[in-house]
Amino acid sequence: MKTESASASRQDELYQAAAETFSAALERLARGYEADPDRRRDLLQDIHLALWRSLASFDGRCSVRTWVYRVAHNVAASHVTREHRRNSRTLVGLDVLETMPSGEDRELAVDQRHALEKLLELIQRLKSLDRQVILSYLEGLDAASIAEITGISPGNVATKIYRIKNILARWFHEGGGHGK
Amino acid sequence: MANETPSTITDVWKSQPEERIDISLEEMRRKARRFETKVFWRNVREYVACALVVACFGYYASVFHPTLIRVGCGLVIAGALFAAFRLHRTGAVRTVPAELALRTCVGFHRRELERQRDLLRNVWRWYLLPFVPGMLVFLLGLFQFTMQQPHAAGRTSTIVIVFALTAAGCALVFLGVGKSNQWAAHKLQREIDTLNQLEKES
Repeated sequence: MKTESASASRQDELYQAAAETFSAALERLARGYEADPDRRRDLLQDIHLALWRSLASFDGRCSVRTWVYRVAHNVAASHVTREHRRNSRTLVGLDVLETMPSGEDRELAVDQRHALEKLLELIQRLKSLDRQVILSYLEGLDAASIAEITGISPGNVATKIYRIKNILARWFHEGGGHGK
Repeated sequence: MANETPSTITDVWKSQPEERIDISLEEMRRKARRFETKVFWRNVREYVACALVVACFGYYASVFHPTLIRVGCGLVIAGALFAAFRLHRTGAVRTVPAELALRTCVGFHRRELERQRDLLRNVWRWYLLPFVPGMLVFLLGLFQFTMQQPHAAGRTSTIVIVFALTAAGCALVFLGVGKSNQWAAHKLQREIDTLNQLEKES
């Protein structure tokens, strides 16, 4: 009984610390998966609930950051699968985005809101795995961390990031393509 | 970051205004309990459907006395109980919350696809096939019973056609469900193969 309550309080502490550190990142992540504000709120609550429940079994075999992002991406990907069955919107891979016209030309620094809308639209069209990589890249995670979260090899992640950088450069005029 | 002028798209991404949602731990516990209650009632609904089949065919068995009809009813009831047992077994195997974190995104996605694929592949075997013998014997018994009625004389061909069409209709529904599930499972398998390939490259 005592052990049970000690582990419950450890779970609560872990959750509170994780929520404090990653709350903004989780909200941005939810935006990348759901455009509708009400459903996004529900998704975010589902992520927090899954995170709290999962932390009862946290044993330190990976970092809290990896744990949090895996839970969040897995819950969000399941949400996308469910929504996809409902509205059967076609999701595409990076290869399709590479060949798509980038739309009207606007200065990034001048029109941030427009740029953000365009970026979200671009992310929400992607298939789960590519979406996980681009969202992690935008959060500033390195290839090794993204590989640990997603389960793709660091080499594959690096290739995907290279392609993502080129797509972003073309869509948001960030001074041309980037090297590997 | 929020007060700086973003110069790259990653800066724009991180400078998004935050709409904090604060969920207290008490609310979290309440939501977890609500989720468990939802799962409980979903299971209850499934068992009630099974109980209805048992009650309905139990009633038929008590009303119709021909042996073949009673055997058919017994087999349908046995099929329903078997399906309920399978539901109980598969319902117990649910995603453990920790799995969301212990599996990588690729691993988790593949497991979800495999679970759906197996469900689709097995629907025919576990939830339709158990009812086939019972329904066949029941229909056969009903046919025999109808033919023995005084008003059946001289209408044999009509009765045969009606029963043949009913049996064919049932068979078509069963085959249609089975085929469409196989097709959907095949599509999922292709996605699983792609993920396996991706993991092999890792």
